[in-house]
Amino acid sequence: MITEVNEKEYEALDHSVPMLIEFYSKTCGPCKMLAFVLKDIAKQKPDFPIYIIDFDENRELKERLGVKGFPTMLFFKDGKEVSRLEGLKQKPAIIKAIEAIA
Amino acid sequence: MENSYDVIIVGAGPAGMTAAIYAIRANMKVLMLDRLSPGGAIINTNEIENYTGAGKLTGAELAIKMFEHTQELGVEFDYRTVIDLIDEGEWKIVVCEEDDAVYQAKAVILATGTVPRRLGVPGEDQWAGSGISWCAICDGAQYRDKEVVVIGGGNSAVEESIYLAGICTKLTIVTMFDLTADPKACDQLRKMPNVTIYPYQDVLEFTGEDRLTGVRFKSTKEDATERYVTCDGVFEYIGFQASSAAFARLGILDRTGCIEADARMRTKVPGIFGAGDITVKHLRQIVTACSDGAVAANSAASYVESLKQ
Repeated sequence: MITEVNEKEYEALDHSVPMLIEFYSKTCGPCKMLAFVLKDIAKQKPDFPIYIIDFDENRELKERLGVKGFPTMLFFKDGKEVSRLEGLKQKPAIIKAIEAIA
Repeated sequence: MENSYDVIIVGAGPAGMTAAIYAIRANMKVLMLDRLSPGGAIINTNEIENYTGAGKLTGAELAIKMFEHTQELGVEFDYRTVIDLIDEGEWKIVVCEEDDAVYQAKAVILATGTVPRRLGVPGEDQWAGSGISWCAICDGAQYRDKEVVVIGGGNSAVEESIYLAGICTKLTIVTMFDLTADPKACDQLRKMPNVTIYPYQDVLEFTGEDRLTGVRFKSTKEDATERYVTCDGVFEYIGFQASSAAFARLGILDRTGCIEADARMRTKVPGIFGAGDITVKHLRQIVTACSDGAVAANSAASYVESLKQ
């Protein structure tokens, strides 16, 4: 399931659960196309939480997580970042990263 | 075989998506594959102003419209990286990297496009598509009355520089060798008052914080002088590479790796067609890619029908 969150909502998430956090920008073409890929992944893995965060509107959070550009995908397990993918990536690479934490 | 189709289209850029639309409307059973996402090269283009009837929109917006069009018509789509295409006469075997997936089709349209050759220096990935562009026709207008750097000295670099120098306040050319384009074009460029050329240079990095602000480069001559030029935008023209490695064994590529196709987009292998930027052509634009896709799908449909007779 894909849910958009802001910084405050991100803090309130249950971080013990494996999750994918994606930082995107409204003006970024590859981010828009990644949305297609993530939608497809969400269909395939409906129980896996995917959270998307607006890079431009959540600058403090992206600084704290060391996110420098967009799109950036962070894969979390037990509240810790296990891996990250930067840029538009192939669906199998994203699935592989999800399966490594789920 | 479960994974059997009339037509498989490899690549979901404008050429592939248009081919899909034409093929499915010709009552073909169609599968479209792409390794990354629908859209192809246009997703990196900020503004498109030359696609007839579309007005001004971003590459991603156009890509989404095109993809939705294919989905409304029921085109089957999947994310796959095609690593081999085997010609078995009536059937073409499409081999994918993921899960060893294999499909077969009576006709295959190859529309995997090209990728610009990149420098691979710091800052390039960060500003790609928002400061660094590979298409002056597409993105040049946004740099009117601004300062631009062009990387490269071949025909594309010089031709696009002449265009850009006409709209920008200052144009700097940084190239690994001297200008290698047609002498007449080089002379024309050299005479333009707002153009500075730095030959025999290695680009070191692109710099900026919120936006691209400059390029650092170094002479390849003995003095190895390092320079920094401020700019609002960069255009890279150091060549392109056709995304055609998977099809090399078919003998349908020219020496640059592009697919050789005739006016009906047929390659020399019956049942295999090329469309869009991957083919040998003069003008690589969305509108010409779409045209190729339509022609290729029409030819593919005729070919599939001919097999029934």
